[in-house]
Amino acid sequence: MGKKMNSEKLGNFYYGNKTKRRREWRGAADTWYDYTRWLANWKVMAKFMMKPANLKGFFRYRWMGSYLAVPDFVDRHTEGLRGPQLRIAHKEFDFIVEHVCETIGNLFRADPACGNDEEFSKRVVVFDENMMSQIMNGFPNLQMVCREIPVVYTPSTVLQEGVLHYIDVAEEFGLPSDVCPMPAAELGCAIDDDFPQIGICAVNCNTTCDGSLMGNGVEARRFNIPTFQLAVPIRHMQESVQEYGAEEIKNCIKFIEEQTGETFDWEHYFKCMKTFNAETKLFREWLELSKTDYPQIIGNNVALYRDAYYQVGGGRDARFLQNDREITELGYQGYEKKVLCASQVRHRAVLWGVQAQYYTAFPIWLQNCWGILPLIDMLSLTSTSYYSEDDKEQAYLDMADLYMKMNMRNRSNGGYEVGVDDLWRFCEEFRADMVIMYEHIGCKAMAGYHGIFEEQARERGIHLVWVTHGLMDPRKASRKDMRGEVNRYMRAVLQEEPLDPTLEDFADDNNW
Amino acid sequence: MKDLKHLYYLENLLAEANNDLVRQAQEEGRLAVGNVCSLIPEVLLDLPGCFSVRLRAPRTGSMEVGTYYMTSLLCEFCRALVERAMEGGCEFLDCIIAPDACAAMNRAVENMELLKTCNKEKFFITYSDVPMKSDETALKHYVKQMRLRVLEPLNKVYGIDVSDEALQKAVEQYNRISKLIRELGEYRKEEKPRITGYEFHVFCLATYVCPKDLLIPILEDTLKQVKRRRPDEKSPFRARVVLAGSEIDDLDFIKLIEENGAMVVADRHCFGSFPGREEIQLNDQEDMLTQICRHYMTTGQCPRYMNTDKINERKDYVDKLAKEYKADGIIYEQMKFCDYWGYERMAASYIMEHEYGYPVLSVDRPYVVGTSGQLRTRVQAFVEGLEIKEIHRR
Amino acid sequence: MDKIKKMGKIMLIGFAALFLLSWIIYFFNLDMKASVYLKKLMDKVYDMRKRDRRL
Repeated sequence: MGKKMNSEKLGNFYYGNKTKRRREWRGAADTWYDYTRWLANWKVMAKFMMKPANLKGFFRYRWMGSYLAVPDFVDRHTEGLRGPQLRIAHKEFDFIVEHVCETIGNLFRADPACGNDEEFSKRVVVFDENMMSQIMNGFPNLQMVCREIPVVYTPSTVLQEGVLHYIDVAEEFGLPSDVCPMPAAELGCAIDDDFPQIGICAVNCNTTCDGSLMGNGVEARRFNIPTFQLAVPIRHMQESVQEYGAEEIKNCIKFIEEQTGETFDWEHYFKCMKTFNAETKLFREWLELSKTDYPQIIGNNVALYRDAYYQVGGGRDARFLQNDREITELGYQGYEKKVLCASQVRHRAVLWGVQAQYYTAFPIWLQNCWGILPLIDMLSLTSTSYYSEDDKEQAYLDMADLYMKMNMRNRSNGGYEVGVDDLWRFCEEFRADMVIMYEHIGCKAMAGYHGIFEEQARERGIHLVWVTHGLMDPRKASRKDMRGEVNRYMRAVLQEEPLDPTLEDFADDNNW
Repeated sequence: MKDLKHLYYLENLLAEANNDLVRQAQEEGRLAVGNVCSLIPEVLLDLPGCFSVRLRAPRTGSMEVGTYYMTSLLCEFCRALVERAMEGGCEFLDCIIAPDACAAMNRAVENMELLKTCNKEKFFITYSDVPMKSDETALKHYVKQMRLRVLEPLNKVYGIDVSDEALQKAVEQYNRISKLIRELGEYRKEEKPRITGYEFHVFCLATYVCPKDLLIPILEDTLKQVKRRRPDEKSPFRARVVLAGSEIDDLDFIKLIEENGAMVVADRHCFGSFPGREEIQLNDQEDMLTQICRHYMTTGQCPRYMNTDKINERKDYVDKLAKEYKADGIIYEQMKFCDYWGYERMAASYIMEHEYGYPVLSVDRPYVVGTSGQLRTRVQAFVEGLEIKEIHRR
Repeated sequence: MDKIKKMGKIMLIGFAALFLLSWIIYFFNLDMKASVYLKKLMDKVYDMRKRDRRL
């Protein structure tokens, strides 16, 4: 027990139950900080539950039960962290908690089964989960809700069995079990009558994968609101497709205008894009820090948060920018003090493929157990371009570019140039000697490069560690199975000893 | 019924991707253009001087190499193609024109490229972005992509004539083939059909994988023979079904269904005649390429089309076929690990049963099904179910 | 003055007690341990709800 990393034997906290024995002692200052953040998160949640509509929603929707584990979710993503990394993690995850509470609050406010605010519901445009939201930057009077994020995406991260019920429902209706569990869970939720019926219209996008696209089409049967299908190009790197992307964006804007009676507000759009560009500038700085010997904002401290502000925030919520500034400040402080993210840095890794939703804390385990620094992950390596802040025609192309290059889609679609070649480029830029290659059972896009990855990693002398998982279904490969693959490689190939031996094998199959 | 004269020849021909007719056409100096999906208009690959070959992997046994490169999580059809390519089975191709349609097929073609499986000097591969919606914006994009990714490379690399006249010739040939196939298929509507689903599939499949001009005499001759053919007094079939789903190039699959008493009266799948073998109606209002693309976009029934109209149209289309061909039920099939058809099969099976009132058999299958006992049992049970239903109806 | 002092003392003790209690809950993870039971209860509530289950 102490303020140094690895001073607590973290594996001993797990005892086969849903929760951990106790919280970590991180030294007086860090424990006090963590305690105050814990209190703050409970305050946010208590405030949320005070609203009658939210309380109704809590009893109405099965997925709401998952949110009981939120404090544990935050604990998981701060495990073993100290100093600036702990503070950065709290800045990000606590803000995610706040943001998700707001999103769910909006869902329930509009939901006829809860708040039933019809006027508000008429101002809600429902977006697909895997979708950028920048189009809504031009509609300041409307509310964008990514319906599936609080219903499926987040619950599966907060609680590892969070969406298993929905996957089972979809399979009962004949969906093959070999498709990606994410759209399967979304579809199961729709079949099970567990989505709030809100909004004046919806926009679906041909986003990350074939399964996601197909799931949307079937799900839409349950929603009964006018739906626009935004089909942005798949070969997004080709110059010849950009014009079509822009045309589709125009069609989508027109659809929203027609359905809501609103007019696209260019001034507001450009204002939001200024914020978005400022966020991008800071993100670039984080990446530059990660290329040095003293990376600060890495692993979990990038992954989920980047999803949130790049995709859902989209520049509309200036609080993200303020948060980013504070995170950057903490990052620089850590860098100047030469703070290490692990007690001993043994390997610098790029995480490629799709992360397991039920084990988003896996990168922290890599740090704590083996001293592998998860410098950056594939889902966070989205566009770092700056977008126009005053040119309308260029703005259509920009929006198309963002939709084409949303998280994951920019790598899972577009060909081996972005799926394979870019990996090696990033390894070089970040001076990584290791690739943690997530193999998500059900993701055809990345599995199709399996042999190519193997061969090319060998040619380059990069350690390639396969980590198989089931995205939202831990029954296919448990957290322990995922760790086992790394353990085997570290023991058998690299013949290394763990930094914390209690973390090599511990009982968390039943854990939240 | 008396055997069809050309059936045995074509069955043997279809046992090889690089078959006699392909070799004959190449010896005549024509180019073999590899094609992997119906989203690239076949007509554009059948321009004078070249011919399309829809890639298959007949007689597939082991898929270990394909599985190494693409894991066991990808559709076996795609893995089999990579395996075949690694064995040198695609060396005869002069180029591959691929759409970025499904992720699995895209990866298969990318593997073929990265692993350098085709080594002719001028060999090339292009990937096109093909539409996922059927509307005017998508059409414009489709036309542009087909010009850039299909016509221009064929012209630049091999000097293929891509003028309107050349396109018209290709359309005429395509229409001739489609007319013959459709006429042949019409005989499946009869109460005592003069052609079985299996026989029809052999002829139809050949039109996807052989140079069309070399098949025309065979099809004409077969059509004459079928016209004169006397059906059996007692039909060997106990039920009539529409077969809907993804790629079916395995002749044994339809054979298995028919051996168990269900005649496949309509074939709505990627190697079938619905859609894929309807004539292209040309007009003077639009340029040739736009008309061709419009035809493929509006007649396309791929589940990849995501707009609501198309989603609903797919069910109406199968309903129309079932009525027209007097089907008693529908079999929805998909290749295991196919995301598009996984969802489409699930939804369509439910909708066709609960909203359209058809008995539906819903199956997923491996690439090669010939000896599948499980599938045999399921078809038998389905046929019995249809018979019981018929008895109750009477 | 005494009254204010007394009030202050009570408040101080109250805050100290609250702090101690919350600290114990925090450190021994009691909030999450209690949530496990609540989750089980809620699952029963969700199972009981009638649903329009269809495609």
